[in-house]
Amino acid sequence: MEPIAPSEILALARLVDQIDYYRLLQLQRDATTREIQRAFHTCSRTFHPDANRHQSSQIQAGIRPIAKRITEAYTVLRDPRRRALYDEQLDSGGGVRLTLSRDASDVTAPNPRGTSAQGRQYHALALQNLQQKDFSSAIRNLKTALTFEPGNETFEKLLKTSLEQMDSHPTS
Amino acid sequence: MAEVAIGIDLGTSNSSVAHASEGNVEVFTNIYGETITASVVAFEANGDIEVGNAARANIIRDPANTVYSAKRLIGRYFFSEEVKKARAFYGYSIEEAENHGIRIRIRDEEFSLPEVSAMVLRELKAIAETRLGTPVSKAVITVPAYFNDNQRQATVDAGRIAGLEVLRIVNEPTAAALAYGFGKGLQQRVAVYDLGGGTFDFSILEIGDDVFEVLSTAGDTFLGGDDFDDRLIDLLADEFHATHGIDLRHDRQSLEMLKVASEDAKKGLSEDPEVEIQLLDIAEGPSGPLSIERRLGHDEFARLVGDLVQRTFKVCDEALQQAGIVASDLDGVVLVGGPTRLPLIREAVTTYFQQEPKTDIDPDLVVAMGAAIHADSLVDPQSSCQLLDVTPLSLRIGVAGGLAETLIERNTPVPIEQTRTFTTFRDHQESVAIRIFQGESHEASENALLGEFEFAGFEKALRGEVEIDVTFEIDADGIVNVTARDRTTHGEVSKRITLSSGLTKSEIESIVARGDAERLTQATLPPVEENIEREPASPQALPEADFLELLPADEELREGDTTAEMPIYRANLEEIEPHSVQLDPDDESETDWE
Ligand SMILES: Nc1ncnc2c1ncn2[C@@H]1O[C@H](COP(=O)(O)OP(=O)(O)OP(=O)(O)O)[C@@H](O)[C@H]1O
Ligand SMILES: [Mg+2]
Repeated sequence: MEPIAPSEILALARLVDQIDYYRLLQLQRDATTREIQRAFHTCSRTFHPDANRHQSSQIQAGIRPIAKRITEAYTVLRDPRRRALYDEQLDSGGGVRLTLSRDASDVTAPNPRGTSAQGRQYHALALQNLQQKDFSSAIRNLKTALTFEPGNETFEKLLKTSLEQMDSHPTS
Repeated sequence: MAEVAIGIDLGTSNSSVAHASEGNVEVFTNIYGETITASVVAFEANGDIEVGNAARANIIRDPANTVYSAKRLIGRYFFSEEVKKARAFYGYSIEEAENHGIRIRIRDEEFSLPEVSAMVLRELKAIAETRLGTPVSKAVITVPAYFNDNQRQATVDAGRIAGLEVLRIVNEPTAAALAYGFGKGLQQRVAVYDLGGGTFDFSILEIGDDVFEVLSTAGDTFLGGDDFDDRLIDLLADEFHATHGIDLRHDRQSLEMLKVASEDAKKGLSEDPEVEIQLLDIAEGPSGPLSIERRLGHDEFARLVGDLVQRTFKVCDEALQQAGIVASDLDGVVLVGGPTRLPLIREAVTTYFQQEPKTDIDPDLVVAMGAAIHADSLVDPQSSCQLLDVTPLSLRIGVAGGLAETLIERNTPVPIEQTRTFTTFRDHQESVAIRIFQGESHEASENALLGEFEFAGFEKALRGEVEIDVTFEIDADGIVNVTARDRTTHGEVSKRITLSSGLTKSEIESIVARGDAERLTQATLPPVEENIEREPASPQALPEADFLELLPADEELREGDTTAEMPIYRANLEEIEPHSVQLDPDDESETDWE
């Protein structure tokens, strides 16, 4: 493994929020599980904090977020269910990171009104706001609901409608 | 010579220290020529502190002033099950400290658990310094894979109190795998079956070109060889009770004698198929002293502990399932821990895994050796070894209704971070508080509470307008860090509240300044200079921020608290807000708006 130049590390640290998991691990979109694992090992050899104890503190600080993003990328790509979600997200231009924490493993049937108590509550509040044509509150509540359940389609749709409504009724 | 960093296996009953350089690993012997030092601290009446195998004799002679099994208590709260049990059975006094913490009372002194463990660490450091002939200030310390964040933090604190910079906390089974596979160019999938005195850990690793990737880990912090002893103690005591009408468990002295005899008998069964148990004058009967004399065979003992052994395989099932493999996919099974010397364990392991376990490395030393190899790799830039570990427990956040939602699932590789955006739910709300847990239950109270975090200092605004990005990080040591940022101002708004199981930075400093090191008996101190220079605390493990004072919780919250690991705290702040996520938990009351 080629040692990576400090300037490259710092450049990558700045870019890390913009590149997707495949690019980060230097993988093709059709990479096999085995290739994903190998890429994880190779990248870890370069970016894991243990491998960089001898670097300057500036480099170490640059490397920390990269290392964490590498494990995140691996966690998503090695899991077929997560990978499928991620691929879909990439294809629809939905951002380069996937939230790991959706309790997807233990949630049984998705509830359109929300799978978490908070999601449901904020969704309910938003519906109330919409009835009163209070779009800005509805938007706030829906955004909040989405923080608990990122990717909830019902919430997203409603948010989109609310934003459109807001644009057409700018006074409310 | 390059920088020196040692590896320490800080065990419940026994500890070891080793050093690796240029591919050679040496486990150091103490003044008795033994590679294993008892994790026992004896406080003598004259103020001397003795650690190790000599101290062990004091458990019977002076139980009130001899601390053993500190690892079972470190990082735990006063009201946890483990502490309750220890208070009932241990000879020394365990008291409640502020904020549900614990202290050991020895005569008129009080010690925190990290302080006690630091005494053991200091002894091991001294052994290494004697053997190396040079001061040592850096170490890798191992912990059970299943240790939670509180226990890991407390172990780091212990290291710091002992004057050691803890380079890394490594999981015991991971260290064992390293000792097994390092430098051999292996391409293998191995399992590590680690049955210690008080804990069982099981990890599955993929080894490839000196990259050690943990695929999954599982464990039980309440299962170990000591539980085998307890079974035998009960058997002997029950039989004695049936014959003589005396319960030996009610007398501290008799109980200690039973404990020693039971452990000896168990260990004997590692050597011989049958052992003789003899306890003369264990109690005073109406017509003179009474004794126990009995034979114990392999089969009888196997029946006695059969369910405990089977419990280890439940844990193995879980880890295999998490790794997505079956037992026959494994290229090897590495044994760690004293009880794995028992033929009954080896037989059961062989049956379960359908293969003979690897027994070429000493199961008592393999962890310290792995720790030393890793320590060396951290100070040697040429080293080629790379550990990739996972978090053993799911990281959760408390939400309304007493529930806890997953942020980072167990067996996720570390280091890793996840960010969640929080908002206020009242106009002009000044602070947001969240609770973090580790565990596998949706019920918050069934998980271990790591801490409550209160975020303040963001700009006040209308409900829902404030957006605070809270980042949850698990570092390569398995230690959890939480920080928060105001999305609009990008200002750091984090304030960490550490709970009482941990020590604050200033507490650690004052302990270090107190200099208990001088009290360690001379025989065990090395003839080299003490390393005076104290490494500054690594910034991540203990936050620089002010600690918010914590108050005990309101009783109402406490009522629902059925499990041990669930302390309730409340931040002592001007305005105490429920955390932002605490809305009405009653789903059914939800009106249907559609
Ligand atoms: N030869 C032996 N045969 C059977 N059991 C043994 C033998 N030697 C030690 N033990 C038992 O092993 C246990 C201690 O194991 P070990 O020293 O591996 O644990 P530890 O490292 O102190 O604990 P832990 O790893 O859980 O922190 C004790 O219960 C002890 O009685
Ligand atoms: Mg051990």
